[in-house]
Parts: sequence; C-alpha cells; structure tokens
Amino acid sequence: MKKGLVALLVVCLVAVALIPGCQPGPEGTIKIGVIGPMTFVQGEQHWMGATMAADEINEAGGIVVGNVTMPIELVQIDSNEMLSVPDAATAMEKAVTVDKVDFLVGGFRTEAVLAMQDTAMDHQKIFLGCGSASKEQCVRVAEDYDKYKYWFRITPINDNLLVMDSFLILDTVISVVKDELGIEEVKIALLMEKAEVGDLIVSACEHLIPAMGEDLELVGTWRPSPTATDVTAELSAIKNSGAHIIMTYFSGPVGIVYAKQWGELEIPAASAGINVEAQKMGFWDATGGKGNYETTLNQYARIEQTDKTIPFFDKFVAETGEFPTYTAGTYDALYILKDAIERAGTLDSDAVVIELENTEYFGSAGRIVFTSTETGNPHDLMWGPEYVTGIGTQWQDGELLCIWPPVDGSWNGLVYEGTVAYKVPPWVIDYWEAK
Amino acid sequence: MRDYAWRLSKNFQGEILAVPGKAIAFFFLLFLFFVPVIISNPYILRILIFASIFAIYAASWDFLSGFTGQVNFGHAVFFGVGAYATALLNLKLGLPPAATIPLGALVAVLTGLIVGIPALRLRGHYLALVTLAFPIILTGIVLAFPNFTGGELGLYGISPLSDSRVLIYYIALIVMIASVLIMWKLTDAKSTFVRTGVILHAIREDEITARASGINTTKYKLLAFCVSGFFAGIAGGLSAHFLQIAGPSNLTLFFSFQPIIWTIFGGIATIYGPVTGVYILYPLMEILRGVIPQLRMLIFALILIVVLLFMPQGITTWFRDKIEVECPRCKLTNVATRQYCRACNAPLHLEQRLEQR
Repeated sequence: MKKGLVALLVVCLVAVALIPGCQPGPEGTIKIGVIGPMTFVQGEQHWMGATMAADEINEAGGIVVGNVTMPIELVQIDSNEMLSVPDAATAMEKAVTVDKVDFLVGGFRTEAVLAMQDTAMDHQKIFLGCGSASKEQCVRVAEDYDKYKYWFRITPINDNLLVMDSFLILDTVISVVKDELGIEEVKIALLMEKAEVGDLIVSACEHLIPAMGEDLELVGTWRPSPTATDVTAELSAIKNSGAHIIMTYFSGPVGIVYAKQWGELEIPAASAGINVEAQKMGFWDATGGKGNYETTLNQYARIEQTDKTIPFFDKFVAETGEFPTYTAGTYDALYILKDAIERAGTLDSDAVVIELENTEYFGSAGRIVFTSTETGNPHDLMWGPEYVTGIGTQWQDGELLCIWPPVDGSWNGLVYEGTVAYKVPPWVIDYWEAK
Repeated sequence: MRDYAWRLSKNFQGEILAVPGKAIAFFFLLFLFFVPVIISNPYILRILIFASIFAIYAASWDFLSGFTGQVNFGHAVFFGVGAYATALLNLKLGLPPAATIPLGALVAVLTGLIVGIPALRLRGHYLALVTLAFPIILTGIVLAFPNFTGGELGLYGISPLSDSRVLIYYIALIVMIASVLIMWKLTDAKSTFVRTGVILHAIREDEITARASGINTTKYKLLAFCVSGFFAGIAGGLSAHFLQIAGPSNLTLFFSFQPIIWTIFGGIATIYGPVTGVYILYPLMEILRGVIPQLRMLIFALILIVVLLFMPQGITTWFRDKIEVECPRCKLTNVATRQYCRACNAPLHLEQRLEQR
C-alpha cells in the first residue's frame, strides 16, 4: 500500500513537472512568442532573426513601456505546421493561454497560418506574420476589422506582388538576353512546380507575356512536382522548344535538382524567376557549383537596401553560418513591435495596434509602412521604390549578388549600392552565337 | 419504476463496476464530463476536443481494418471528404453545423462506396496500395479546382460549432461517446441485438468459410466501408467547424497513418483500443511539445517502439489481460485478483483448478 502511494506521488510530481508552462517566467518581461516549424529551416530562421533582435534590444536596456523598461523574453513555439494544421492551432493556443505570451511573430504555411490567425485573433493577441505570402490574411482584416485587426504582415510581400517582382526581374533578363544574344524576338518557357503560387504565376504569364510585346513568345509550360528528383525530360523539351529564357517557380527541393541539371546539361536558356533553394547559402555546394548563374527573387543580399541591411546580413551570417531568408524578417518584426509599444506606452493590444498602423520603419529589408484600413488588404506591406521592393539575386561564381532593381537605374531610378549587372550564362551565349 | 431503477442499478453493478475494464472506461468518461468544471484553460480543452474528434477517426479505422481486415492506408480520404463537404455546405449554402456535419458524413459514406467497390476485388498488400491512392487522387482534385475547393489554402471562414469552448467540448465528447458506442455495438460478437459483429469477425478470420456459411461477405465489407466512412466523415466535419478551416493537410499521408498508429498502440480490433490510444498519445505529444519540442517526434517514436515490443497486442489488451480474467466455465469476466468466478464459483486460475482436482 505504502509503495503504491509513493508510486502515485512520483507519478503526480512528474506529471506536474511536465505540464507545460508550470514554470513561471521572470516578472516584468515582455513575452514574445516565436511560432513556426522549428524543425525546418523556415522556423530556424524565424528563431534566429528574433533572437538577434531580442539580444540587441535587451543589451540596449529593453523596451520602454511608459515609465518602465522591460526586457524581451522570447518563447520558442514549434507549430509543426508542415505536418499538421490542428497542431499549429493548438500550439498557438498554448502560446497564448499557457506560456502567456504578450505578442506573436512567425508563421509560414498559409493553411496553418489561417488557422493560427483565427486562434490569435480570438484571444486578441497581436500576430506579426513573417512567412506566409497569401493576401487572404489581410483581406480578412478588411472584412472583419474588429476581429482581425491584430494581424500584420512583416515579410514577405504578398503573393500578387511576388508575381509582379518576378515579371520585373524577367523584364530585366529579357533586355540583357536581347543585347547579349543579339536577337529581337525572345522565346520564353515556363518551368514551375505544381503549387498554388505556381498556378498563379503560370496564369499571369499566360496572360501577360503575350501582352508585354509582340517580340515575346511563350513556347510552353512544364510543371514538375515540388519534390521531383529529375527534370531532364522537361529541360530537354525546353531546349527543343528553342526557348531563350526559362521562367521558374520552385519552392521545394526540386529547385536544387533543376539548377544542377540546368548547369550540367548546359541548357541554352537563361534562367529567371523564383527558386527558394537558391536563396540559401548551401545552394552552391548542393549543386556542386552547377547552379552558377541561377537567378531568384529574394529578400536579402549584401546590399544597401537601408543602412541596416548590411550590418544585419553580416551579423546573421556570422552568427548562424546561413544567409538570412524572408522568415528571418522576425528581426524587423521585433523592432517594429518595440517602436509601437514605446509609442503606445502600454502592452495593451488595442493601443499597440493603433501605433502599428502608424509604423514607418527603416528595417533590414526596406522602409516598412502598412497598407491603410481603407484598402482591400489592410495591414499588408506597402510595395514600391519608396517602400519594400524585394530584390532579384543571381549566383555569380559562388556569390549571391543583387541584380534587380537593375544596376542601370531603369526601374524608377532605384539602385541599391552593391547591385551588379545580370549575367547570361556563357554556354547560352556560345550556343546561340553558333546557331 | 422503482423496480426498474433497482434492476438498472443491479445491472450497473454487475455489468460495469464488477468488470475492471468497463469500470475504468466508465470512470474515465465520468472524469471527462467533469473536466470543464475543474479546468477552464482553453488550451487543455482544445487538446481534449481534438482527442475526442481523433478518437472517432481512429475508431472508424479500427472498424474497417481491425474488424474486417480491409487494411486501409488512405483513411484520410473519408476524414477529408467529410471536412470539405461540411465546409462547402456551410460556406456555399449557409447551413448550420447541425446539418452540415451529418450531411458531410453522408458524402463520406458515398466515398466509402466509391472506394469500397473497386477495393473489394483486392486483398492484402494490393488493397492497401489502392487505398493509399485515394487521398492522393482527392488532393489532385482539390488542387485542380482551386476556385471551388480553395486550392492549397483550403476553405476557411467556416462558422464555429459554438462561441463557447465548453459547449464545443461537450458536443465533441457526446458525439465521440455515441459514435464509439455504436461502432462497439456493431462489432460486438456477443451482441444479441445486431448480427454484424459476429459476421465481421467471421469475415476477418476466414472469409471463404464465412461465404460458405451463406454470409454475403461483399455486402458486409461494403457496409464496413460505409460505416467507417460515415464516422470518419463525422470526425472531419467536427474538425472543420472547430478549426474553421478545411484544407489539403487533411489528406496527407501523415494524416492517413495517424489512426493506424493510435489503433495499433491502443489495441487493434477492439474499438475502445484506438480511443485509449488517442487519449494517451495526443496529450502526450502536447506534453512533449512543452518539454522538449525538438525531440518530441523521436521520443514519440521510441515510446511506440517500446510499447509494441512489450505489448504487441496494444496497451489496452495488455492491461486488460492483467486486470481481468475470464471464467473458463461460464465465460463471465472477473477481476484478475478473484480466485473464484463471481457467478458460478468456478476456480479462475489454473493453480486452483489443479488443486481442486
């Protein structure tokens, strides 16, 4: 009997110790939950960006709330959103009700972010999105402002604008290809993985490319799986189609496969578009250098988008051994939140929302201003030469360099210091010169 | 009336309290009914709501695969169809959850027929592979018609089951208990009420003999697909209204394998086994999220391996065998600590039987 009671006691003690959130946090801190798929690179970057910002803010004393200075305490929350949407919503609820976070940053996969957004809004917690590009989250703010006003997008620009940037990069590549190859009419092939954003870009390309000029011809569309391990069939077909440019969209590992095989087979077409894998430092090694000249839409490169970009970029690389990608935008999110809290002088969500709406912050990725409540997608990022633009980057001999906005200033006169000219791969030039 | 109450009380004592497994289940359900009185934390209630929903889902897999041997590796198709149908009925026609969930489940029954008819021609590995294909096909359909299905984003803005978390908890709990009881009764081989239990058992053990005995096995296997689809559809509908989103993540391979893990962990071909599996494993994963989030999948896998190594019949069956013993003479279930049967007084353990001789 005695043994049974002791066993019961041990079980109870272990259970109490294991119940999450039983350990109280330090008094007088501002708890910020960093929520994301922490076992994936996107979540790791959420955490790295937020940690860097929190350390800097705390070293400088913390956040001034009225008359009190409070340090930031970060809480890491693994949403497991890549595998389970219910898990993501539950993680959000835990963050709010058990970990008692004051604010939240992060989120990546759109379907999960929509569910997490609902949970955060139910608890009237400010949630700064740093991963999902879907416009829908901001459309919800317009449709039901009182419920969804606590949502703001920090990174990336929304999916419509991502498409717009892709076209602007394509336009730059077209003009360079025309000059370098000495051709008047340019043939374009679409190679885009089967995914929502891919569908959107394909649909836009099919409508817009013919409208961009009579000198442009769309020669075909190829849609491999995001996890395809071989795209030689598609590349051979593109070569046979006579395309001068391949417009890409890859968010998955097929991006590495594509770039490697494109370089190995020396497909005579320049590459431009979105390749998420090419945004990472490991891309060069993963492709064995065959991904040279691969081009992708990006958020960060070592250029002066603002005076904060290069210090942030260098520090991030030094501390993590990785290039920052857009989910590392949690870095800017924490500073934006700090400024809004200090202006509001309180941690009250409603007061901080009003100050967030008045944000004008020069962050690591540009000047951040939110769209107004009168637009159809409030609390989204303003985009344009005076705001956040996104950038085009190209791998050139082992370095990821900015190639858009173009170095000649042909896009609204905007040139970020450190930008270089787009390079057409030499084998493409050789092939078309020999023809 | 008094006589009826007296008889009910006697039955309760004899059928529930005297059988340890049933007594534990009864007190656990009683505890679940009082949880919102003790705990008001919405996070804990959310975990238990999902546990109720997933308990229906896992039991529905056990109903089909555990009892008829029709191994289904694509059970997410029923859950997903239930969730999508519920979401569409709510968003497009404005129907309330009380109508959308059962109607969504009926659509899942139709899916059960569509899946079941070709699947009946196959057995074993071939059947498993074919069932695996159905969620992939449905995912393809979902992505092919994004304007109707919401594509990758899924359908969102679904009306909630209720504004009160406590009420949602009770809805999920009551639906779970009712669903599990129905499935349990339908599979009870000793039942004098319905014959399906003994027939499904017969089909699983030896289909040819069952057919030779005059049982239309095709009809009963199809029935199993439909019943399983119905309850998985109910779970999908509840999930869609609770999460307020129905998306392609409901159709992933991971989601198809989850009920299999819960069922094998809890005890296959029992109905209550998967329920136990869900109520242990789902909260356990949440506890691990709070303690060691990065390693929780690894620890989860280790626990599963250890349990399956030492309790291959599942934790419920292992535990039941420890606390219960069946009388060799009258087949009545007794507490394992009893020496003699509570009804016929026959010796329950081998040693006593040898002693008596």
